[in-house]
Amino acid sequence: MQELGKQQKMVIGMVGLPARGKTYISRKICRYLNWMGFKSKVFNIGNYRRQICGTDCNSNFFDPGNKDASKARDECALLALNDMINYLRNEGDVSLYDGTNTTKQRRKLIMETLQQKFSEVQVFWVESICNDEDVILRNIQLTKLNNPDYVGKSSDEATQDFQQRIEQYAKVYEPIDMDENISFIKIIDIGNDIMIYNIQGFLQSKLVSYLMNLHIYPRPIYLSRHGESQYNVVHKVGGDSDLTQTGLMYAKQLGKYFIQELEGSRNIKMFTSTMQRALHTSNEVCEFLGVEYYSLKALDEINPGICDGLTYQQIADKFPQDYEERKMNKLTYRYPRGESYLDVISRVEQIIFEIERSRLPVIVIAHQAILRCLYAYFHEHEVPEIPKLNIPLHQVIKLVPAAYYCKETRIKIDPMTGHWEIQDEATIKKVKSFLDL
Amino acid sequence: MQQYKKTQYKLILVLVGLPARGKTHISYKLNRYLNWIGYKSEIFSIKGAQQNNDGFDQKIDYELEIDPANQQFVEVRQQLSQIAAQQLVQFLQNDGDIALYNGLTSTKADRQKLKSLFKETLKLEYQTFWVESICDDPQVILNNFNESKLSRFQDKTIESFTNHINVLAKDYQSLENIENLSYIKLINIGKLVKVHMLEGYLCSKIVSFLLNLHANNRQIYLVRSCQTEYHLLDKIGGDPELSATGRQHSQQLGDYFIEELKGNKNITFFSSQMKRGIQTAEIVGEKLGIKALKTKNLDEIDYGICDGLTVKEIAAKYPKQIKERKANPLEFKYPRGESFLDVIHRVEPIIYEIERSREPVLIIAHVAVLKCLYAYYHCNQISEIPNIDIPINCVIKLVPIPYHCLESRVIIK
Repeated sequence: MQELGKQQKMVIGMVGLPARGKTYISRKICRYLNWMGFKSKVFNIGNYRRQICGTDCNSNFFDPGNKDASKARDECALLALNDMINYLRNEGDVSLYDGTNTTKQRRKLIMETLQQKFSEVQVFWVESICNDEDVILRNIQLTKLNNPDYVGKSSDEATQDFQQRIEQYAKVYEPIDMDENISFIKIIDIGNDIMIYNIQGFLQSKLVSYLMNLHIYPRPIYLSRHGESQYNVVHKVGGDSDLTQTGLMYAKQLGKYFIQELEGSRNIKMFTSTMQRALHTSNEVCEFLGVEYYSLKALDEINPGICDGLTYQQIADKFPQDYEERKMNKLTYRYPRGESYLDVISRVEQIIFEIERSRLPVIVIAHQAILRCLYAYFHEHEVPEIPKLNIPLHQVIKLVPAAYYCKETRIKIDPMTGHWEIQDEATIKKVKSFLDL
Repeated sequence: MQQYKKTQYKLILVLVGLPARGKTHISYKLNRYLNWIGYKSEIFSIKGAQQNNDGFDQKIDYELEIDPANQQFVEVRQQLSQIAAQQLVQFLQNDGDIALYNGLTSTKADRQKLKSLFKETLKLEYQTFWVESICDDPQVILNNFNESKLSRFQDKTIESFTNHINVLAKDYQSLENIENLSYIKLINIGKLVKVHMLEGYLCSKIVSFLLNLHANNRQIYLVRSCQTEYHLLDKIGGDPELSATGRQHSQQLGDYFIEELKGNKNITFFSSQMKRGIQTAEIVGEKLGIKALKTKNLDEIDYGICDGLTVKEIAAKYPKQIKERKANPLEFKYPRGESFLDVIHRVEPIIYEIERSREPVLIIAHVAVLKCLYAYYHCNQISEIPNIDIPINCVIKLVPIPYHCLESRVIIK
């Protein structure tokens, strides 16, 4: 149904004082949209300012009375706007304009510029308002102190300067008004209050639903495949086979792992598919934990259609053309009478919403293709990489969403001995994080 | 093992708003939607309480008798409101999942009373979510009247009704954060929406649903893909192409829609991704000058191991499954395939798109899928789904209006 959202290009404008989570939100939206098949990019005005004006800008630079600085900042904003429009004219579907955009005048300028240069675009504004001092301080400590603006400064110095910067913005801040006649969503106090005005179209509706589910509880997400199944052993594709002895043992070890990991807590959400191998794995885990799981058809393995029950070799022999096609284009190739990875992404979207919404730890016990899609969403992998992601049997992937990235840990569990091997992959601080141009 | 619908707790949806603000319409739509996605849901209103109770004069429409100066009617309305709340509690104590309350909730005091009543009498875990409808656009209010109330007015006039509302408006108290209630406020049919303390799977779903509602009465056309060779061979499932006759019928379908849609190219046009769906849609689309959006959500029910077999073959090979299906046609799942419940779940995003669309909607799909879509508009119980008749070469035209859905069927020869 993606075409519904591609009938028009879209610009999403962020609004809000510094340290209100605008970059966090815009990056989440960008990740979600790319995963869903909309080419999206974030244009962070701060990065433009750093490039053009340098990083040695203390809070005086942001004084609205500082005429030279204001002029420079306006230029940066327009530069970013131009790049954004070019992106949309070429390959982009959605651009996110990540800046404070705190005055009516600035927003009007953007709307008018867009109307002039690119009239067939729909514009949607996302304002983040937060009055909780603790949350704001936490935001500053998590994301601002590592900012290139504060290299070489002590954490106290940086915090103080940043707070002064916020005050400069606050002097002229005008929250979005309905009079401005723009479509917007206001997220107040991390979603405790939400205000939505004049949303139009498929994509805006989807984004609103998505944004309503976001929160900042750092709850862990555990992904695991079912234990080894009979089809796994003979390298057959599809089917609804049961666990082997080894698989069953893995399931039990998995239960033991979770008891220790969750410290006996039952406050978790567990999702699995409706296929035997996943259900039986989940049953074992749930026996240990004393919880119940949700069994969802949406988590069933990719449907291999006419290739169901065949080995890859048999597929290569029986359907050589399809075999080659799949090798060339694993993401879009659809098994005849079956599914493609794109179909799976579409199917699994509702699970993403459920995981996002959950403030409790989430465990998903599912299948290779499914987990590849889920993992890619949380880990910000490019969609074309999805069919090749490494999700082996008998391994738990633990993801803890943090400020702008995800901390990943992999726990290999030996089904026989129950021995754990923890692979603490270097926390993937994407180089892109601050220089996202 | 739990099913997808999460009913760990009961849910009470309380409607708030002055008369003629669309509360009843919203409650009907929500109730219909919730039942369709598998919850046991019911509405409890003043009207409902009156109908079930012989102690009240059935000739008086107490929902319309809102004159705040008429002390007798005011008291009766309060009584009925109370009875409705009690019936609601009974319903949830038994096996109800979700209850919608459309009674007296216009002041903070009313709402606190209601909250206390639930707290004292409901002995289960429950969540309450408040849905307020506010209109300050006179055009919108006038439309509401014309749509829903006009037929019920006999010797009353719109003028006196509006005067009563204006009096009531003086004591009306809109929901405020200080009341500590989870709510959604829909202002001018969703042009502006405010949500406070949203929590839980169901409430999130309900908010997403409400965001898509509007008051345009547009037509929805449901059409099956045309004839294939599987029809002639009495086979089910498969992904066959249209037969020559099928292509011919598609042309006639196209001609029908040229007349029916009168050149409107702004329609919302969906088809499945099965060959017969795509081909039918291509032929019809060419005639109309529009392209269909192809979505896998509209693909026919997965017949699993029975796919491609004739009815006779299935009866011979899988007698056990036939028996099971007869016993429980709604929940029966073809082995390695789907059940109607799975199809409903799969087709839900299409319902959202239909709801959102203010233009006519044309859907080309298949029997089981169309049964599910049709049921959303027409059936009160999803158990009726397996028995719905969706003939081939027939255009089913649905026009949802407040509280009903108009239907007409045209056989294309």
